[in-house]
Amino acid sequence: MDKFGKCFFVFTLLVLLLWLVPWTYRFVTARSVKYPFMLYSGLIDNFAVLDHTDGETVYKDLAGNVYTEAQFDSILPLFYYRQLIAEERLPDTLQGIPVSPRTIQMGNFIFRTTPMTVNAHAVPLYFLLESMSGRVDLEMPDDVFRVSRRMEFVDMATNTVKEEKSRLFTDMLQKKGFVFPARLVAGNPTTRKDYDEGYLMVDAAGKLFHVKQIKSRPYVRPIEVPEGIDIQHLFLTEFKDRKSLAFLTDSENRFWVLRTKTYEFQRVEIPPFDPKTMSLSIVGNMFDWTVTLKDGAKEALYAIDAYDCKCLASYERPVPKASLASSIGKYIFLVRMQFNSDISPDIFPVLKVGQW
Amino acid sequence: MLVFFYKEWIKTRYFFLIALVLSVLFCVYAMLNINRVIELKGAAHIWEVMLQRDAIFIHYLRFVPLLMGAVAGMMQFVPEMQQKRIKLTLHLPCSSLHSLGAMLLFGAGLLILISLVNLLLLDIFLLQHFAVELVRRIILTGIVWYVAGLAAYFFTAWICLEPTWKMRVFALLVAVAVLRIFFISETPEAYNAFLPLLVVYTLLAASLPFWSVKRLKDGKQD
Amino acid sequence: MEMITCRNLTHYYGKRLIYENLSFDVPKGRILGLLGKNGTGKTTTINILSGFLKPYAGECRIFGEEVQSMKPTTRREIGMLMEGHVQYTFMKIEQIERFYAAFYPKWNREVYYELMKKLQVAPHQRISRMSCGQRSQVALGLILAQNPELLILDDFSLGLDPGYRRLFVDYLRDFAKSENKTVFLTSHIIQDMERLIDDCIIMDYGRILTQQPVNELLGKYYHYTFSLTAECTLDMQQLIHPSVIRNRVEAGSFLPPEEMRSLLEAHAVPFVDLQGNHVSLEDVFIGLTGKY
Repeated sequence: MDKFGKCFFVFTLLVLLLWLVPWTYRFVTARSVKYPFMLYSGLIDNFAVLDHTDGETVYKDLAGNVYTEAQFDSILPLFYYRQLIAEERLPDTLQGIPVSPRTIQMGNFIFRTTPMTVNAHAVPLYFLLESMSGRVDLEMPDDVFRVSRRMEFVDMATNTVKEEKSRLFTDMLQKKGFVFPARLVAGNPTTRKDYDEGYLMVDAAGKLFHVKQIKSRPYVRPIEVPEGIDIQHLFLTEFKDRKSLAFLTDSENRFWVLRTKTYEFQRVEIPPFDPKTMSLSIVGNMFDWTVTLKDGAKEALYAIDAYDCKCLASYERPVPKASLASSIGKYIFLVRMQFNSDISPDIFPVLKVGQW
Repeated sequence: MLVFFYKEWIKTRYFFLIALVLSVLFCVYAMLNINRVIELKGAAHIWEVMLQRDAIFIHYLRFVPLLMGAVAGMMQFVPEMQQKRIKLTLHLPCSSLHSLGAMLLFGAGLLILISLVNLLLLDIFLLQHFAVELVRRIILTGIVWYVAGLAAYFFTAWICLEPTWKMRVFALLVAVAVLRIFFISETPEAYNAFLPLLVVYTLLAASLPFWSVKRLKDGKQD
Repeated sequence: MEMITCRNLTHYYGKRLIYENLSFDVPKGRILGLLGKNGTGKTTTINILSGFLKPYAGECRIFGEEVQSMKPTTRREIGMLMEGHVQYTFMKIEQIERFYAAFYPKWNREVYYELMKKLQVAPHQRISRMSCGQRSQVALGLILAQNPELLILDDFSLGLDPGYRRLFVDYLRDFAKSENKTVFLTSHIIQDMERLIDDCIIMDYGRILTQQPVNELLGKYYHYTFSLTAECTLDMQQLIHPSVIRNRVEAGSFLPPEEMRSLLEAHAVPFVDLQGNHVSLEDVFIGLTGKY
């Protein structure tokens, strides 16, 4: 036992050294990387660049043109529309289509997903809002639901199952062919949105369903999923323009838009995107989206046509030159231990060999 | 084996009784606090906060088991080291594996027992107010703290029994660094996957005091 | 039959030599005292004997078994008393008896309680509340109840007033002699040792001064005094730690008086009034180890 204890001590020491020494080195030498802000401009058919590095602000585009601040607002009229309104410079039409502050506002959205949130342990309990209460403001319900062997509503105040409501929804789901339990449940249970689309669920058989509560009654609609799409991650959008119902990825890491009303799937022309390891952000407007895809240190931007989701332009940010400290670190710390992760809130020991 | 339990019980019974009472009081405090929030803001509010933000409402307990484990180790092994009293134990006609093993088993056993009482109490209370999924989340998050407490106990035994001051200080630093691992993240359920490994590690850490005793028997001193 | 055999024990603490090539045997039924001033390696030897110190070199066997790899059950036959009569002070008199009884098949609880009766302490008194003298009796009682073949006692006289010291010595001697037990003990207080030990090893820093039965030692050693009539140097090997105060000389020696006289004459020492006496063990000890 004492020999084992000694070995165990050496093992512990080794782990601590592999963890703490590189960590300290990193802590001391770390520099944050700041990328310039970029957005696609349909007016110049290129990415506009707002560069804050070196202390002063430079407005330019990828073609090398330099702009004044006012010019920069003009080439991104849908992003800076409030500035343009204030200066009474907002055009009546853009790309031949009439625009107004209201239509612009309706078409704008920001979407963001990070591995941190995707990999977080979510409690499989969900709030189902009333989609058509007749009130202007949405309200949080007094119950939560789980989708295990049935759809079960639990009253929060009493912590008891609402049998009647549970039966109502379960029956409806079963009638529509839902196979319990659910494999995926996605929704945005918040009142800070303009309307409520309820939930999208993938059942045990891999089929997709749209589930809402309308006037206290279940609304369940099976959605036809095109052949070859095995849904892995679902994100309900609930954007103001009501053109999309959800973003989703499949087992081949393809990124899709699920359209409202038609329930049509539209492939977004970006490279494979795995929400478990990559971040994705979309700054969208009625004409185009600027999609930023981040995979570790690699970051790439894609301009996507808002109508057909085809890629208009793309730009891969040059990976910033590694600092001297980090290049040295790579050679000193060939092996290191890490408990934190950049892509998950989980604490787990990982041995990194030859990675800095 | 039992006769060692008898000795350890005489030595530490007041401590363990106080530890049980205090830790239960902490649990009760956490429960009362939850009750208060429910009364003030309603059950729905606390459910929402738990589901949408990383709150679990028992964070008061975070360092209680750690403290309990460390003090348990001290209560048990500091008297052994005063005047090198451990020599009496080691001179008994049984192996140190047997004698020290029994002492560690006693301390660890009572700590585990107290932990189970704490967790059971919380479990029973929480299940009255929250869905099983939420309770599972809270308990899974809390278990890590109790495992840390057990690890702290074994480390403290190791540090106390270590015969040289130099090594003792070093062992203390190592113990602090290892225990830090249990508290890197406050995110609920962040340790779910790591937990089995931590449990195995903690149980194996019981071997460290045996190494100290071996050093003591070899006559290592400053 | 040898109960303890130590061969060529050598030990250092860091670079400081404690002793080199210490060898001794303790035969069955004998009481051996390891005497020396503080810091001469008495406790070191006890620690080696009780398996709490690996000597730098040499080996130590008890009942023929190498101490470091001794079977745990062999320790049933070894009673150990730690320096300062250290015990589990959080226990009460009856609790500690119950605890130890579980380990020793030959346990004799009557002996223990007989001794406790003399102490005028209640059985439920905690040991931490007792005086050092009372504690020494508890420790002694436990060893006697254990009834081992060999007793190893580290500086049992430490902190005891004369009464308790005498009580301890008498009990121990009686036990050892009536049951033919073997005792190895250390002490830095030599009073009472004469009543107790059969053999002695007297240690100085880094070496052994003498190793022989106490009776022989007391019979061979003389304490000499004489006066000098003129200044002279006294660097004869046979004179141990000579001290001169004014012109009066005190010295120890293993030479009998006639030989001492011849020696002094041979070295042309101008002496008068030579007196040689046998003295107590304590005086022999001081004579051999010096006052400093």
